[in-house]
Amino acid sequence: MPSPNKTVSAPSTVDRIQTEIDRAIQRNLKGFGYLGSPAPVVGLTPKTLLHRRGTLSLYHYKPTASEVFRVPILLVMATTNKAFIFDLTPGQSLIEYLLGRGYDVYVMDWNPPTGEERYLRLENYVLDFIPDCLQRVQMHSGIEDVTLIGYCMGGVLSTIYATLHAEGPLKNLVCFTTPINFRKMELFQAWTDARHFDVDRFVDSVGIIQPDMIMAGFDMLRPAGRLVGQVRLWDNLWNDEYVKAYRMMDRWGAETLPVAGEYFRQTVKDLMQKNGLYEGTLSVGGKLVNLQNIKVPLLHFLAAHDHIVPPECGKPLIERAGSQDKEEVILPGGHVSLVAGANAIKRMWPKLDQWLERRST
Amino acid sequence: MTSTINLDPFEMWRQVVTKLEGGMNSLANSGMSSEQFTRAAHQFSQISTGLQQTFEKALDGYFKALNLPSRKDIVDLAETLQRLEEKVDMLLPIEVREPFENRPLRTRQPSTPKNATTKPATKQPQGGG
Repeated sequence: MPSPNKTVSAPSTVDRIQTEIDRAIQRNLKGFGYLGSPAPVVGLTPKTLLHRRGTLSLYHYKPTASEVFRVPILLVMATTNKAFIFDLTPGQSLIEYLLGRGYDVYVMDWNPPTGEERYLRLENYVLDFIPDCLQRVQMHSGIEDVTLIGYCMGGVLSTIYATLHAEGPLKNLVCFTTPINFRKMELFQAWTDARHFDVDRFVDSVGIIQPDMIMAGFDMLRPAGRLVGQVRLWDNLWNDEYVKAYRMMDRWGAETLPVAGEYFRQTVKDLMQKNGLYEGTLSVGGKLVNLQNIKVPLLHFLAAHDHIVPPECGKPLIERAGSQDKEEVILPGGHVSLVAGANAIKRMWPKLDQWLERRST
Repeated sequence: MTSTINLDPFEMWRQVVTKLEGGMNSLANSGMSSEQFTRAAHQFSQISTGLQQTFEKALDGYFKALNLPSRKDIVDLAETLQRLEEKVDMLLPIEVREPFENRPLRTRQPSTPKNATTKPATKQPQGGG
């Protein structure tokens, strides 16, 4: 029985109807504003472009703390999306949070690959772009060791880099929702089945994989998602915060990047079809990628309700890495809300700070 | 313990939407993981890619005959311009764009000792202290 002292009176039916009528009015008023308003501004944290080379951009964010940790952080964004997911808006920005907590932050962001860059391979990302950016971070910060943080495919690239450069200069490796056992991405497995999908023919004919196809792949994982998202948006049009958050995420999704054909071919053949990262058969630049070679402190965040990289897909990273100091954290949330949602602010960011601060001096 | 039944029709409608979403997603996913679907989807994709390429080829020839730039030509030109623009932006040395003396000291220490169990930091410190 409920305690009499704790009884909370439920709103009466009349009150509820009144609330819904108010919301309906607001919905109609704000709906017109929504249709006519420009796209939300994102990525406002002050930054300097340190280097740009075709698809690659390296940014340094202006520190906000008067004293920072010795070891700088280099974030590696997933190759299919823009890095402003780390910096959506003041108060909802991982970068702003890290700067506030006293870290020196650099970000590797991606631009649409040019026609000439259709031949970029995993080797270009792992053996050229990441080492080049690390060297620039070292020179710019004056510090030898760097913490590498990779998100999704950015995590895969960072992981492969770490296995092939056990001698340094990595201080720590942090991965967000990074797939290792691609067999657990069941729908992607079905769609890239070599018996039906001739990836060579496809890549040879298109050169660069257009964002429409990548977005369609993600949308097909949750076919009702877009429609229900629109219904929920309509339902919440009265709520400015909800609309703002929806529009920022919608903009991020809409700005999905094209992908270099050769890189896509390798991803499908070596990672999806052969499951090379998990099986230990992946070779990059003539060297076998062995997760055992990772020796630096390692932290892996996984999202319990991730429909793109389910936890089982990412778990082998911690199981197989050779690091003595390693930790896996599974948090409630999805693939994106893990790093950028309201829950990220409450759960993931504080945990990341807590782990990093003791390893950044 | 008592179980409460929510009779709020608006809330019930929202719950129905959520359940419907889950149901539609799992139903569609089970269909899309089948071999038949994958085969049909790839056949469709091959045909549409082929058609698109044929169309683009024809259009390219048409523009060439009219001595007009194609969309691809304009995109290539825009990419070249963007590359030049970025190079111009970066002509100024980094020491000028980010003066070294304005950088903070790298002496920050963890707020908690190494072996202590820390409470997650939920607030940003003011002034980075």
